[in-house]
Amino acid sequence: MTTESVHALFVDEDGVVSLAQLTRLSGLSEAELRELVDCGALEPADVAAPSWQFRPDCVAVARIAWRLREEFALEDVHSLAIALRLTQRIDELERQLAALRASN
Amino acid sequence: MKYQDYYAILGVDRNASDDDIKKAYRKLARKYHPDVSKESGAEEKFKELSQAYETLRDPEKRKAYDELGRHASGDEFRPPPEWQQGFGGGRTSFDDVDLADLFAELRGGARGRGAGGAMPGRDYEARVEITLEQAFHGAEIALDLSEIEVDGDGRVRRVPRTVKVRIPKGVTDGEVLRVKGKGGRGTPGGAPGDLYLDVRVRAHPLFRADGQDLYIDLPLAPWEAVLGTSVELPTPAGKVSLNVPAGARAGQKLRLGGRGLARQGASAGHLYAVVQIVLPAVVDERERAIYQQLASQSTFNPRAHFEREAM
Repeated sequence: MTTESVHALFVDEDGVVSLAQLTRLSGLSEAELRELVDCGALEPADVAAPSWQFRPDCVAVARIAWRLREEFALEDVHSLAIALRLTQRIDELERQLAALRASN
Repeated sequence: MKYQDYYAILGVDRNASDDDIKKAYRKLARKYHPDVSKESGAEEKFKELSQAYETLRDPEKRKAYDELGRHASGDEFRPPPEWQQGFGGGRTSFDDVDLADLFAELRGGARGRGAGGAMPGRDYEARVEITLEQAFHGAEIALDLSEIEVDGDGRVRRVPRTVKVRIPKGVTDGEVLRVKGKGGRGTPGGAPGDLYLDVRVRAHPLFRADGQDLYIDLPLAPWEAVLGTSVELPTPAGKVSLNVPAGARAGQKLRLGGRGLARQGASAGHLYAVVQIVLPAVVDERERAIYQQLASQSTFNPRAHFEREAM
């Protein structure tokens, strides 16, 4: 077995990710990302700006959306946004539970 | 190679329409997806389903799959000789890979690969769990990957590979990191894909993280809260001495600027000590007498708002 050493890099360079970068990093199309923004599932730093910039944590959100779309064969973005919100809520509760268990 | 009957897995006819295949997959995915199912074996079942759907949803792959003929799941079979081209030509054997590997590699169908044209490799994704200390300081972790390779004799096989990945300091829970070129290999002339790491930071017994900020509960005795005190507070970088001002209230946050998570060369999050007022489980006679004296002399009414707000 061979072992090599590599560096993991942050996906954003300036603390923000452009719409084009988010498209490449998430696997979602630009149209799907725009619809997710319309549904409130993703939030650009400044929605009124001519070119959208996203906070780096949006990459994880967009990738979960992509995974849900693939794994449940979801096509309509509104359903995807709801599934995403519920998944995030479960995730939040599981983290709180893990934190409570860790502190007891 | 062992045959898998993808139609049987999805419970559809071999001549099912694309729509029937999608409907059958959706129904089964809702039942077996690991996020929604607690049934034992659901994860394995879901993996089978997604492999079947990945192949049958793509017309090229479905056609290639149908060319394999009809076999029962588990039967040994050999892919058609012309598929060997897809793995670099020559005398190729597929003994060490499974059907899912084969179809994952045959993106766009066997002919697509044979026809040439550089295609980039697929991106891979892996979840890694690190400790808060590792997130704070950065760390090197070992990742076990399994890659498909063609050896000099044309055998296609899975090769275990351990990659040591340097996780940069300041990574936060839920963040995605990229390891360039560690995804699937591309066709000749195509760049390899990237490996994306979905980072999870394990819950810590003392610290909670919220983005780059960290929180720690700071238990104080009632007299420490009233009179103020100096405490030795653990931080991820080591202990510090913290002055707690007199009159600290439960829930109050004392901020230690810049002592949260920080990326190299960037501004750091903060550490917040959240005041808790705790009481001793047992008090002796002398302490009880002091409390009684305090009770008789204090004018403090902790429930004054009951009277103000009562209906």
